[in-house]
Amino acid sequence: MKVNIKESLSELNARERVLSLVDKGSFHEFLGPFDGKESPHLAAQGVVPQSDDGVVAGKGIIDGASCVMIAMEGDFQGGGIGEVAGSKIAAALELALKDNKNGTLTHAVIIFDTGGVRLQEANYGLLTIAEIHAAITDLREYSPVIGVIPGKIGAFGGMAISAGLCSTLIMTKEGRLCLNGPEVIEQEAGIAEFDSKDRLLVWQTIGGMQRTTTGFADVLTVDDATIIKEHISDAFSKNPVNVPRSADVEKFLSIVNTIDPSFKYTPEGFQHVVEETKNKRNNFKKSQHGTKKSRGEIWFEVFTGKSAIDMQEVPSVLCGEGTINNEKASFLSVVPDEEGRFPRARNGEVGLEQGWMLAKYVREIIEEDKGSDKRPIVAIVDVPSQAYGYNEELAGIYLSCAAAVDAYAAARRAGHPVIALIVGKAISGAFLSHGLQANRILALDDENVQVQVMSKQSAARITLRTIEQVEEAAKKVPATAYDVRSFATLGALEELIQDIEPDQPGKDDVASVEESLKKTVNDIQKSNAGIERRLSTPQALSGGRKASIEVRKLMEEQWK
Amino acid sequence: MDTLTFEFKTTEFIQNRAHVGVVGSGDLEILMEPVKEPHTKVEIRTNIQGFEKMWRLVLERFIQENDISAFIKVNDFGATPGVVRLRLEQALEVSQSEGKH
Repeated sequence: MKVNIKESLSELNARERVLSLVDKGSFHEFLGPFDGKESPHLAAQGVVPQSDDGVVAGKGIIDGASCVMIAMEGDFQGGGIGEVAGSKIAAALELALKDNKNGTLTHAVIIFDTGGVRLQEANYGLLTIAEIHAAITDLREYSPVIGVIPGKIGAFGGMAISAGLCSTLIMTKEGRLCLNGPEVIEQEAGIAEFDSKDRLLVWQTIGGMQRTTTGFADVLTVDDATIIKEHISDAFSKNPVNVPRSADVEKFLSIVNTIDPSFKYTPEGFQHVVEETKNKRNNFKKSQHGTKKSRGEIWFEVFTGKSAIDMQEVPSVLCGEGTINNEKASFLSVVPDEEGRFPRARNGEVGLEQGWMLAKYVREIIEEDKGSDKRPIVAIVDVPSQAYGYNEELAGIYLSCAAAVDAYAAARRAGHPVIALIVGKAISGAFLSHGLQANRILALDDENVQVQVMSKQSAARITLRTIEQVEEAAKKVPATAYDVRSFATLGALEELIQDIEPDQPGKDDVASVEESLKKTVNDIQKSNAGIERRLSTPQALSGGRKASIEVRKLMEEQWK
Repeated sequence: MDTLTFEFKTTEFIQNRAHVGVVGSGDLEILMEPVKEPHTKVEIRTNIQGFEKMWRLVLERFIQENDISAFIKVNDFGATPGVVRLRLEQALEVSQSEGKH
């Protein structure tokens, strides 16, 4: 069948994309180019800012239905999410949620074109993307959140996780959806793992055709604005989906379990895996867990008395019960497993199994506590990165991350106090999945406690700078630094716990951390179920989140 | 990053503001706003250093031919003089054709 394309959506810039999808004359943009909300962090690093920071956000009407429209400008800094860009998206979704709660039905359409976190703003990207995740999962309870990936850049990194959380995902053949871009995988894992120059392979692996064929996206569309608008309209008319993809643990965990990780699947081969999911684990043997324990395991053991050897399913994902202030609490941790099934996720990374297992455990806790007291859930964070691998992207690791995000967010909404306790590394997609959806974040004050987006080497390569320049930038923009004290200046930490021995905690250390957990649980029980506390800590207010707070304030003024 | 400012005496006025372009490779973003005085101020931020003379030539020519008064903000990401000229004309066209804002 030949289709005449009247107006290609992917060829348009972000603002034109929005205008081509809404009913004529119905769009009102918030914080547009003349409102002067550009990134305050780029000029300091010698990068020319854009007046709208690469995000178009506003309200419009699609076939009579009122909706918030959000689009990323892929041509500006690869659509990367910095503090202002991310806050614009989060604020628009938060205001749409408010409307829905007040009885004004407002749908949401997100047009993705982004490489994920903007590396020049690093941890601001992580924080704002976590806020976008929280907002999508909240909003989805009231009204569909439609994701569109028209193509050119696609949806990568933390924003691929955002796409994974959408109620309905519409993609063109040109659209790409994956956590780690093929270039990054090639850098981190070698050309034998993923040849990023093999364009056919890239699109067959992460392109719209494969994603829709294997059930990771809903609608494969031609690249035509009018037709895409019809798809959006169709998606609006469906009620909020029963089980969003990122909450469908049973289906996708069984796909992951069917994969034989010793095998490199062709895109077609993976289609057969999806069709023939057997719900049994391939290539599975219970591993002989190594003797050296990671911090994540040490602290898990401290609170639960259990270790990796006690885990029945996946030895690298620990879930167990303990107490905080003599009340039941659950603890989760992701730890290394030298003999883990997936070779690319043996060093404590969050991979396919880890994301879905976290989701499974958290959802089991929610289920168990239905109708009774909601126990606190503590994510013990010591995650060196997400898993970089070909099979990982083919089988949608972004969705396994989205599943964990979705589960933690659901736990918050159900009334569980959720706390992240950072004892080691808290990196990138792994931290987004395991930690950043917590109501409150605590961290040990230690030089090996680090929060960051990408290794200095990779960050330097991708932003075309030397490692020295990256380090120089960190002095001007603390969000790009790696140490936890710099991260603390952004205001996301509830407490930086002092004087703890992180590798060999003694009784006093444990008592001190438990005291902080207790205080935090009490505090959460008295407040909202969201993650907004990060924007009102003393550090956030005194400058750490200045731009994020301003964006929210200004957008609320313009919202009507 | 270079920051450049140019000022010109002018006579004509524009009615509407205009925004065109993207800060993307080989392109630039222009924000053009009406002003009350017969005077045009151009503020440029560019990632290409050392091209002040070229900017002056392009802008002088544009003002000579159009003689408009405006506050013009430019965020440049390596646009060639030809692209700069096209975007300036496009901004003026948008300003003259659109009645909004």
